[in-house]
Amino acid sequence: MSSSFKLQIDALLPNVRPKSSRIPPLDRFLFALHSVLTSLSSREAQHPLEAAHKLQDKSISVPYPDPRPTKETNWKVGFEKPYDVNVVGSWANKCSVKGQDGTKFRVDLAVEMPAALFQEKDYLNGRFFHKKAYYLACLADAVVDKQSGLNATVEYRSVSGDPRLTTLLVRSPQGSVSDKSETDFTPLNAEIQIIPTLPNPPPFPLHRLSPTQCNLRLSSESQTPTPLYNTALLLSCTPKAHLLAVHKLKADVPAFADALTLLRVWANQRGYGEGSRLCVRGFEGRGAWWTGVLELLVRGEEGAGGKGGAAVGKRKPVGKGLSSYQMFRAALDFLAKHDFEDEAVVVKTNGGHRYPADEYKSSHDAVFVDSVSLVNLLAGVPLSSLDMLKHDAQLTLDILGNSAAVNDAFNETFLKDQRSVPSRFDAFISVDIASAKLDNISSITVADQGLRVTAILNSLASVLRRGLGNRAKAVAILHPTSTPRSVSESHPSSPHTVCIGIIYNTEHAFRLVEHGPAVDDPDTSFAAFWGDKAELRRFKDGSITQSVVWDVQNSDERARIPVRIVEYLLDRHFSVSTKAVKTWQARFDSILRLPESISSMIQQQGATGGFKNALAAFDGLLRALKSSEELPLSILNVHPVSEYLRYTSVFSPLPVPPELSSVLPKCARYVPVFEVILEFEKSGRWPDDLRAIQKIKLAFFERIAAALMNHGGFRRAVVVLGDGVCTSEIQDQARLEIVTDQGWVFSARIWHDREAILLDRIINDKSHISKAVRKTAEGQSKDRQLALEAREVYLRRFIHAPKHHRAIANMSHRFSAYAGTARLVKRWLSSHWLLHGHISEEVVEIICASVFLGGRQYGDGPSVPGSKERGFARVVEFLKDWKIEEGLFVPLYAAGAGEQASPEEGANHIGVLDKTGAWSVRTEEDPEGRMWTSHGPDSVVALRVKALAKATWNLLQSMESRRLDVKTLFLHPTDDYDFLVKLDASVLPRYHQNISADPKTWSRGSGYANLQPRDEEPSRPGRDPAQLLFDDLQRVYQDSFKVFYDCYGGNTFGAVWDPSVKKRRPFRVMGGFSSIPVKKEEKSKEKGTVTLNESAILSEITRIGAGLVNDVVVQSS
Amino acid sequence: MSDYMGLPSSIAGFRIIPVAYNSTTSHILYARKHVGSKRKNSTSLPEGRTLFLVNVPPDATEREMVLLFKNCGTVERVVFDWEVSEPDQDSTTSDEEEEEEAQPEQQQPRKRRKLDKGKKEKPPAVVPLPHRALRVLRKTGHSAHVVFLDESSLERALAPAEKPRPWPTSSEEPRGLAHYLALYDSLRPPLDVVRDHADTWMEMFDYEQAKKKQKSEYRKGEAIVDEDGFTLVTRGGAYGQTLGGGVGVASKRFQETGQVSKRKRKKKDPKEKEDFYAFQRREKKRNELLELQRKWEADKAKVEELKASKRFKPY
Repeated sequence: MSSSFKLQIDALLPNVRPKSSRIPPLDRFLFALHSVLTSLSSREAQHPLEAAHKLQDKSISVPYPDPRPTKETNWKVGFEKPYDVNVVGSWANKCSVKGQDGTKFRVDLAVEMPAALFQEKDYLNGRFFHKKAYYLACLADAVVDKQSGLNATVEYRSVSGDPRLTTLLVRSPQGSVSDKSETDFTPLNAEIQIIPTLPNPPPFPLHRLSPTQCNLRLSSESQTPTPLYNTALLLSCTPKAHLLAVHKLKADVPAFADALTLLRVWANQRGYGEGSRLCVRGFEGRGAWWTGVLELLVRGEEGAGGKGGAAVGKRKPVGKGLSSYQMFRAALDFLAKHDFEDEAVVVKTNGGHRYPADEYKSSHDAVFVDSVSLVNLLAGVPLSSLDMLKHDAQLTLDILGNSAAVNDAFNETFLKDQRSVPSRFDAFISVDIASAKLDNISSITVADQGLRVTAILNSLASVLRRGLGNRAKAVAILHPTSTPRSVSESHPSSPHTVCIGIIYNTEHAFRLVEHGPAVDDPDTSFAAFWGDKAELRRFKDGSITQSVVWDVQNSDERARIPVRIVEYLLDRHFSVSTKAVKTWQARFDSILRLPESISSMIQQQGATGGFKNALAAFDGLLRALKSSEELPLSILNVHPVSEYLRYTSVFSPLPVPPELSSVLPKCARYVPVFEVILEFEKSGRWPDDLRAIQKIKLAFFERIAAALMNHGGFRRAVVVLGDGVCTSEIQDQARLEIVTDQGWVFSARIWHDREAILLDRIINDKSHISKAVRKTAEGQSKDRQLALEAREVYLRRFIHAPKHHRAIANMSHRFSAYAGTARLVKRWLSSHWLLHGHISEEVVEIICASVFLGGRQYGDGPSVPGSKERGFARVVEFLKDWKIEEGLFVPLYAAGAGEQASPEEGANHIGVLDKTGAWSVRTEEDPEGRMWTSHGPDSVVALRVKALAKATWNLLQSMESRRLDVKTLFLHPTDDYDFLVKLDASVLPRYHQNISADPKTWSRGSGYANLQPRDEEPSRPGRDPAQLLFDDLQRVYQDSFKVFYDCYGGNTFGAVWDPSVKKRRPFRVMGGFSSIPVKKEEKSKEKGTVTLNESAILSEITRIGAGLVNDVVVQSS
Repeated sequence: MSDYMGLPSSIAGFRIIPVAYNSTTSHILYARKHVGSKRKNSTSLPEGRTLFLVNVPPDATEREMVLLFKNCGTVERVVFDWEVSEPDQDSTTSDEEEEEEAQPEQQQPRKRRKLDKGKKEKPPAVVPLPHRALRVLRKTGHSAHVVFLDESSLERALAPAEKPRPWPTSSEEPRGLAHYLALYDSLRPPLDVVRDHADTWMEMFDYEQAKKKQKSEYRKGEAIVDEDGFTLVTRGGAYGQTLGGGVGVASKRFQETGQVSKRKRKKKDPKEKEDFYAFQRREKKRNELLELQRKWEADKAKVEELKASKRFKPY
């Protein structure tokens, strides 16, 4: 741990503790309250309903839990002044920690009910809770009573929504800020929680309350244990004992309070606590559990704690002198490593434990008994929540252990709110459980849980945990924690919707078959659990087993299997229809798909797309090229460099056979072209002249074309001379366009490594003069400038692109969610008019990779997103918080190639001319980080990306409240642009890819397709006039305005004037923009000023884009 | 129309020529007589009948410029800026251009001319790639030279215009969608043309190479002496010697970086051992301590700074 970490901890601690200057009013109030409570007069015992009726007049209802007392009830409730009143809990021990979302500090006040109020049999059938409820109501009545002189309001709070654990909250009245009375503790942001407790020893026999006892006698013969009921009862005995235990601990261990604070801040940031946002189920009001964890570390485990008692002293206590941070880490280590499902934890104590550990184990999911030794602190916490806790602890340990790779470990661990759902869970499901039914759970279990909703949620957690098995690392049930209610409401309201977050184990999550027991196994639980889905199957190895098979059509559906399982189980076990279940995956999938009408049109012709087929087509090309003997030099290798061949193109590739292209509507004729690079064997016969090399390439292409046509399987091969814009003769320009029989189109270039040397020779002309001297002396000649440009293209195209391709293809294989993430992020950026024109596809891929490689460089770390939606959210989160000036380093290559790749390798350091790019994304191969960002985004666009990411992030958060409409993330607001250029959608070959493409554009004519003369326009792969127009505008007007557009079928350009050209400035010959002189009458003393000629430029745009541009709309700002 | 009414008639020595794009929008051209500055261009841009234009529309073609100045006189040719010096860059190396290319070279030493002559004896013809007139979009606000046939047209062109001339739209070169379509097709010539072009080009190249080799003054082992009589000292001989021997030449490493090789540096390492004397050890320890203290202070300052920015409020 670095010293700065320690300093940061020291800086953090005072911020999460109550301010000592604000405590005195509270103390005065507590004294006043104490004197009020201890001087209360008793009320005579009466029938529960009658007593409730009397209090009802004062609009206080008695929070009797179910089953409520009836007219036949033959016992009475009464009130006598408390035997004792004590401040207990964290406040008394001065280790309170501020909660999330402005939760108040809670001052626990144990009010000990006199034993005289109870009878020996009161532990049965909730009688104790009824008496406690009445006692609480009487206290509420006393506190709000005007005569008490206490200026306070009261509310009921049921911890975890359990009416048996109802307490009374006393607060300073809200809004009375001006009331500066001595006892007003509003500034402290605290509330007093009155907990009615039992005297010690309790008036009931303790052995009756052991976890295996049945204390709810619904029917006379049933003896099902009621562990949760018993725990709720015993909780009334523990507060004081806990106070003492913690106090002793605090005295023994100096760093205890700090360590506890750290642990709780950590837990709060991850939703293991209270808050109004989604919190992990089961951790509300469990302050004792967190102290228990630390107690375990210090005191060690009870020797015979484990199953069977074989392991003696399993967990050795840690030293008492550890620092707060060390203890915090030890606690995380325990949480990350401990197997809560199988092993019970019993903290070592001197006096021995009241109940044997096995008793707890038989009736609770997870067991953690502290030294006070009465209750299981994890009673009612679903195992799935503990899985989640375990996962989070592991994640944090990874970050802390790898602080070199993680930028700001402290920030990640303590300061950042990690509850945000989209970036935390691979799948997120919101379920409306209002209609949920509990068919196969006995009524006594429900009664034991206290509430139907609690029973549903706990059973839901265990069903899902079982159903998903090792597909998920953790399944978390999430809902906001319970809120206090007015004292006039006797029962807490229960949540209607709960959220389910799943973290995939990507190795198993998408398994198609669920294996069950063999056919002759008498165990029927598998079939019972899966219902109709379970079937007998015979497998390849001859075994016949019960199994569940999920059949899928495509990879999208395969990625949806875990969610389908959840939906199925919800329906089967809780009769929750799919309508009540909200998921987002399918919507994200549809963002990456072509409109149905177009893709079906192509598929009707028998063309089958997909990345696999595209790669197969590439292999075919590779074979054809390698086997060809007609070439003057044999081909050494063919490097794919297209995003379509590395799984990261937004749309999955789809071949368009040439004969089909005339059938397709004009706005869907775009055929993607896959770039490949040909590497020939070395030969000395190449000319030693750059211009000649380019011509030789033409000759080669012609030969290859002829050879391929002879080979068969190829429809067409054409030499393409260049892009029509670049006129440099020494730069690599020509390529060969190859169309296969199925309609795949490849574009091949030739890589000749001698080009680099020749270019270097021009650049380092006069190498006999030392570089240092040259730098100052020489102006850059035109040749040199051309050579520099050519070399930049050469390096990017032939050196970096193939390496990048291999690394990214590797990423796609290694991380199942990577490709989808890159595709979503690309789609997102393109739909916000930034991709391609301003942000290169490659840099997007690298940034996406950083999310996967991030914390852990090797292996399948817990932070690796398991679904593309989560990956997308993580990238958006990264872009939102990225400090651009710090740049980014991504170990992209080490990920695949092992560790030998040293960052100091590159001989190609100086490659990039244009330094306008604001992003620096470094990899091992590109230590400057400008290879893919030199042409943008510039600082203006980079800021825009940040703003967009922020807006998208906020929108993503609405997942929590079920409101998110995925498509809105991809709709671009156009109000900020100075003018919009509207294109004619019907002539854009890519319009069908538009995020909100209007099907009418292509269906309009199709009704009469057979009547229309078929236009015999030949297929033109890769033709995209909108892109060309965009490029032209960007080039021609680069100093006048910035232009933006969606490269996936955008039919509108947006542009923003460069603010500097809109000002008046003196006339210059090389002004670089279309100007108009300022009119005479308004001429100031400086003569000859000009300004931007906006209207002329706009009409030029219309002219340049004739046939494409429908309209230019000026937007007033 | 009213737009241009209030405009000054000239600015910074340039005549303002409004050009109407349509009834409401006009573009401004700035015109001036061309004053040759470089001797080189004097032949291609004759003074007196050359008009220098600034802020030419980005999509203007030669034909459109000719049409625009039709009523002033006949235009001989139009040269768009930055292309003055590079007509030889055009890929279709026609015979005409070769002649032009030869002209400036006449100032070069005599031997060169011989080569040119040799070329003319038997120039292998290059089959050009098919060329289609396509619009070239240049950067907005660029300039051009318009060469008139006679000088009087220049005066007429610079006379103040009563009303803006309409921008002529020539349909010879397509624009917009049609332009991109034509561009697409013209970049994909038939394969046999490509083959012929590449083959003949290489023939021509080989021919030139052969010529150059013949005429090359470089002989192995001979020093190069330039016209002023200086010997060019380059590497090339054995053992770091110049050609012809005698003078030593710096290593490549020195040429590149200006540094002497590392190996030599290492030899100069102090022979004194580091932890030999007690005072050295003490000093080292003290320095370490100071360093540690300094780091601690730096960390503290950093955290203070962060504290000031209220960063430590987790929620």
